[in-house]
Amino acid sequence: MFTRVLVANRGEIAVRVMRTCREMGIETVAVYSDADAHALHVALADRAVRIGGAAPADSYLSQSAILDAARATGAQAIHPGYGFLSENAEFAAACADARLTFIGPPPDAMARLGSKTAARRLAEASGVPVVPGAIPDEQSDAAITAAATRVGFPLLLKPSEGGGGIGMKAVHAAADLPAAIAQARREAEAAFGDGTLYVERLVTRPRHVEFQIMGDRHGSVVHLFERECSIQRRHQKVLEETPSTAVTPALRQRMGTAAVALATAAGYQNAGTVEFLVDGAGDDAAFYFLEINARLQVEHPITEAVTGVDLVRAQLGVAAGEPLPWTQAALAQSGHAIEVRICAEDPRQNFLPQAGVLALYREPSMPGIRVDSGVFEGAEVSVHYDSLLAKLIARGETREAARLRGRHALDHFPILGIRTNVPLLARLLTHERFIAGDLDTHFLASEATALLPEDGEPSADARAVADALRRAPAAASGAPSSIADPWSSLKRTRV
Amino acid sequence: MSERAPLVAVTPLGDGRFLLDQDGRQRVAYAVRAAGATWVFLDGEITVVASPSASRGRAAGLDDAGSLSAPMPATVLAVTVQPGQRVAAGDVLIRLEAMKMELPVRAPRDGTVIAVKCREGELVQPGVPLLELDET
Repeated sequence: MFTRVLVANRGEIAVRVMRTCREMGIETVAVYSDADAHALHVALADRAVRIGGAAPADSYLSQSAILDAARATGAQAIHPGYGFLSENAEFAAACADARLTFIGPPPDAMARLGSKTAARRLAEASGVPVVPGAIPDEQSDAAITAAATRVGFPLLLKPSEGGGGIGMKAVHAAADLPAAIAQARREAEAAFGDGTLYVERLVTRPRHVEFQIMGDRHGSVVHLFERECSIQRRHQKVLEETPSTAVTPALRQRMGTAAVALATAAGYQNAGTVEFLVDGAGDDAAFYFLEINARLQVEHPITEAVTGVDLVRAQLGVAAGEPLPWTQAALAQSGHAIEVRICAEDPRQNFLPQAGVLALYREPSMPGIRVDSGVFEGAEVSVHYDSLLAKLIARGETREAARLRGRHALDHFPILGIRTNVPLLARLLTHERFIAGDLDTHFLASEATALLPEDGEPSADARAVADALRRAPAAASGAPSSIADPWSSLKRTRV
Repeated sequence: MSERAPLVAVTPLGDGRFLLDQDGRQRVAYAVRAAGATWVFLDGEITVVASPSASRGRAAGLDDAGSLSAPMPATVLAVTVQPGQRVAAGDVLIRLEAMKMELPVRAPRDGTVIAVKCREGELVQPGVPLLELDET
């Protein structure tokens, strides 16, 4: 096993990876940008190395700076987390050249799967069903338009590289295509340095169901069941749960077998996720392969909650050459888990990201609740990185128990000073369609009215608390009182 | 607004916590002063009570002098209009990027662009005018 691991990431995932390393007696090395000098992941590491400026390209995406940091600190392995360099085959190969272990799939498997077009071809060759779609012959507007015409509307324009919904555009009519191509290409180039696009048919009431997989160097691949991620906004996941209310034991069997077959064909190792669209419900529901995410997922804790495993520990083990710690037969689901993603954003302003200081931030601690976070009270949320502050994972014996636990915990998760989606998540967990498990990927958009009530007058109770704070001596209020607000100065300032 | 609620007694517990007592029914709220407003958290809901002097931000719009500004610190991806150009309500004038998201700044109404006060690649701060729009 390694004795020192560099974590090439920031925020909650860097913290989460370091916690398992610490448990295992492995020393951790953090890397950080100028914007993150006081971040939680830096404080928790055994060593920390500054790698550059605040912009991701100058720091968390700088392969040379990260490799230099690994050499300088004597790290033997690099855990990439998710995002940033996690699915970059070139970086994985550069690690190998530098005699560092990249904790993830081998570069050749990444190359086969990291490109969605290549992954799609591999799925077809492995007999795994795919959504009808077309790969343009070349990347001119004319060729993409021709591919779109073959597929038909509505359709999705998707970047070949990357994930997380970035650059993905739904197009409902031919007239909207030119603008959508331009925007998707720009966002893909900005996010992944590659503007290659392909075209896919849009399934109208799809559910997003993915399977966690794990492979070792000795040719074994297992799956750790599904996660349902249908609650999304702009193709970014907001809430995930397992088991899925759409997946019956027979469907689970078929999908799990397909996921393992595909990963085996790709020579996959380490943690990964096979994403499917499910059309319908029941034993005979159709499912289509979407893509493989060649990394640990944001939502991995719900899998850990129902299977009892530590996926990061398993990642470290297989990266060090050990066999998988479990056989397929030994893995089972127990209970239900729901994760909600707590983000610095204002749902009432079209989910506009928010930056500023967390003037008050208190994580709930109660039975069945896990919070993975990368922030603390007083921390500044910067404009440079994504808006995920924390993940709250609720586990219960049943879906209903997990749902009620999640709601109760959100009622005791105050985050003040910048807007977050906590109130939206709390309402989501008590929405009747969510309670019924009647989900599809349009859920948030179609239920927006119920989930995003207009800003009314403050309630009498809230006013009474505000008045009490005004009257209370500064010592009793306990929190800083002069924090610059990116919002109040906004928009309607005078010149 | 019409019904008369029973009186709520609020006791500061310190550290931003407050105990609400309404006829013996107890709840805990959290409150803090930040950004010129009072923020209250109670039962999963957030209320921002503006201080008398401060006004809360609204959707990207014009101020009284006709200037458009960024909703948050952001990088200017592109300026898609020029001074003198007539624009219609909803037209994209400037594209910003912040936190991996592209944020279009749209014309809040019909008008003519008087001046562009930012350039592509620039990091802009909230409140600083990006563009001036005249009413025509």
